[in-house]
Amino acid sequence: MVSTVAEQGEDEQDSSDRPAGDGGAGRTTASSAGTAPQVDRLNWRVRLRRDKSLILMTLPAVGLLLVFNYLPMVGTITAFQYYDPLDGIRNSQWAGLANFRQLFGDPLFWHAMENTLYISAVQLVLFFPIPILLALLLNSVLNSRIRSVVQAITFLPHFYSWVLVVTLFQQMIGGAGLLNQFLRQHNAGTWDFMTNPHTFSLLVTSQVVWKDAGWGIIVFLAALSAIDQNLYEAAASDGAGRWRRLWHITLPGMRSVIVLMLVLRLGNALSVGFEQLLIQRFAVGHDAADVLDTFSFYYGIGTQNYSYGAAAGIFKSVISLLLIWGANKLAHRFGEDGLYRK
Amino acid sequence: MSIELNRRSLVNGAVAVAGAAAMSPLLSACGGGGGNSATRRKGGTNSKKGAAAALPTYVASTAVQADIPSTTGSGSAVTDPGILKYPASPVKSVAEVPGAGGHYTALTPLWGTIPAAGNSFYQAMNKALGATLTMKPANGVTYANTIPTLTAARKLPDWVQLPGWWNAQFKVGELCGTQLADLTPYLAGDKVKQYPNLAALPTGAWTAGMWQDKLYGIPSFASGFGLPGQYFYRGDVFRSKGINADDVKSCDDLLNLGKELTDAKGGVWAFDDLWPYIFQMFDFSYKFTVTNGKLVHKYEQPEFIEALNWCHKVAKSGYVHPDALAGNNNDAKTRFYAGKVLITADGTGAWNEADALAGIAANKSYRRESFKPFSADGTKPPRLFLNPSAGEFSYLNANLKPAQIQECLRIANYLAAPFGSAEYTLVNFGVEGTDYTMGAHGPTPTKSGMADVQAQTFPFLATPGNVISNPDYPDVTKDHCTWNSLAATYAYKPVFWNMNITVPQRYATADAAQAVEDTIKDVYHGIKPVSAFQDALSTWKGSGGGDALVQWYQTTVMDKLGTGQ
Repeated sequence: MVSTVAEQGEDEQDSSDRPAGDGGAGRTTASSAGTAPQVDRLNWRVRLRRDKSLILMTLPAVGLLLVFNYLPMVGTITAFQYYDPLDGIRNSQWAGLANFRQLFGDPLFWHAMENTLYISAVQLVLFFPIPILLALLLNSVLNSRIRSVVQAITFLPHFYSWVLVVTLFQQMIGGAGLLNQFLRQHNAGTWDFMTNPHTFSLLVTSQVVWKDAGWGIIVFLAALSAIDQNLYEAAASDGAGRWRRLWHITLPGMRSVIVLMLVLRLGNALSVGFEQLLIQRFAVGHDAADVLDTFSFYYGIGTQNYSYGAAAGIFKSVISLLLIWGANKLAHRFGEDGLYRK
Repeated sequence: MSIELNRRSLVNGAVAVAGAAAMSPLLSACGGGGGNSATRRKGGTNSKKGAAAALPTYVASTAVQADIPSTTGSGSAVTDPGILKYPASPVKSVAEVPGAGGHYTALTPLWGTIPAAGNSFYQAMNKALGATLTMKPANGVTYANTIPTLTAARKLPDWVQLPGWWNAQFKVGELCGTQLADLTPYLAGDKVKQYPNLAALPTGAWTAGMWQDKLYGIPSFASGFGLPGQYFYRGDVFRSKGINADDVKSCDDLLNLGKELTDAKGGVWAFDDLWPYIFQMFDFSYKFTVTNGKLVHKYEQPEFIEALNWCHKVAKSGYVHPDALAGNNNDAKTRFYAGKVLITADGTGAWNEADALAGIAANKSYRRESFKPFSADGTKPPRLFLNPSAGEFSYLNANLKPAQIQECLRIANYLAAPFGSAEYTLVNFGVEGTDYTMGAHGPTPTKSGMADVQAQTFPFLATPGNVISNPDYPDVTKDHCTWNSLAATYAYKPVFWNMNITVPQRYATADAAQAVEDTIKDVYHGIKPVSAFQDALSTWKGSGGGDALVQWYQTTVMDKLGTGQ
């Protein structure tokens, strides 16, 4: 996420279709080349020389992307095969679309799809706004020491593994946890939250909030710090109150980042977490906990039916691609940058 | 899935498994190596007649004098001998140095902390073996994902441990003859007599390591009486409450006891998950039973539904620890040690010295004991099906030359030296003075011994037949042997016992029956009603391919090769 924002910042500096004197002013070569449209048509060799340090810096990331994201894509072929790891991709029998036909006829798959969308929707409504609110709250705290302490505390759980987070929840509100033992000892009814399949999406979301809300505020804090402080001073001297400043300066200043995060979130709508659901699958049953990723794992890898798992994975990727494309289009329509500037 | 399999199957080795359903990276870009699928053998199944020609001759060893001798039960079950004291001065039993200076790499799973490479114990072993055996223990929890990547890339090491409960996952049937060496030319019939310690391994254990009527696997921890598991209780707590466990003679008795023992306010529940070995009470089969000459899958046995019904009732009763109902199996032992659970199901390997040590660390009076087997309604005699005669097998790489295979077999012969011999002591306890000191009851590991000498390195390549021995806790040995000789009288061989069946890929999904197994779990955790299982079952039988699978077993295996009785 942080890198995305950094890249976006880079974009801003690189952008050449802005009015002169805004973004591109820092670049001596660019401005010396003349008017803006011509900058784009600069000789690639000149551009390469100009940007060589930036390109060098991104090379390791591009390398990692190639090795870990693009190279494995060759494996998607297995979705169209009856893949046997002992035969390898070259020698496995060709299946055509048989795996997909089986997939679309599998009620368990559609159920996993339903769960994924449902959990995703709940998280969008209940999780997404929280880091924004937290960031605004933190930004309003003037004492920098309190601010960094609060930030550190909310930030830390992000580094816990899901096993730890779930264990912690289990110890606190599980069937034999602190809360329920307290209720039992006081002859009150127990609260069955950890094993209740009906409220599972709320459980999952509350865990995500606890773990990742603090992490999520970084991006928004960065956006907040980029807002020109002079604007606040000017607004204050014009008599704008706290709420007016929030409405007319802070929120518009954050808007592009919020939209960007929303677009990314929508693109990831079908990825609602894997370990978290895997660990709690037996507590609430597979009906409530199976999402597309765990479906691929249990019904593909778990039963050595790798091709089936790959088919489910590809289907998920295609839908995600469409989602992110659609969300980006929508962002452009509303005049925002989205993932990239049009 | 893997958690339960581990608990069920690691019966003989003193192996505590803290396995979690491990994450697996997609095996996407791997593979593509040589091998022509048209000519490559696609595995096969053992037949009684074909196996007889390849099996090694059994030559019993007289090296071990048992304090509690083996007993013979029904279904040809023979219990492991019990030994109360470790020999004070272990005797040498393998005359010659087995190795010829060869270099081999060995891969074994290890559920624990991996010892440092090239440590002093490994060096001492190499010196004694006369060969360089580079041990590469790998994390047991992710072992099921380690092996498929190696086999897909055709990069198995010279010697590898492939636990039997992962046979289907590792496609061992297909690996045999292509990547794993056929040992029949070296061990069949009287040829095994060159390796007397291997000849002393029970025939059943060799059968369990056979594929396509040929010898491939060298068995570890072979036993003539292996059960998937059993039901334990806290003997110390029962005694303090004046409860006699022998009074429990039916499932009703057990449920009533559950009510008596549960004190939720005090954080004590009677039961952990009771499902894992419930077939011992309700008498449904391991996988199939034969009715009127036809194979019937266990899911379709009426006893299966009865068992599921009962477990659902238990889950709803409030006598099961909430964490067990939440699917947390990894802490089952901790709950039992802490006395938060008083009755638990566990593998037979849980009953040993290490367990006594861990339990006593939590509670001084800790004592693990086991219910005498009983049937659900208390009227019929219980029936306990046997596990394969060995659960762990090591295999040699097919690329090894004959002289190298012979050298490795001589090393295996050394590793299989009888219990209490000098060789056994070195393999299991290391070097005296460095890795252990000889105490009053036997070897006591030192700090370096605890780190370097692991039960899951060399013994996963070969061991002598199983022996029950807990020198510091003779009572555990006595309890265990007594229970075994009683339980052995109820033993029977399940259908397809010790037969390694290679199920074709097109039936693999139906064979794993993941959707049904998931639903079963939901039912015995009390999340879903029993009717959910019936729904899942009818889907499995039809579009899930279950009926076709049973038909395949019937015509291809049972009608042609029998049921392994």
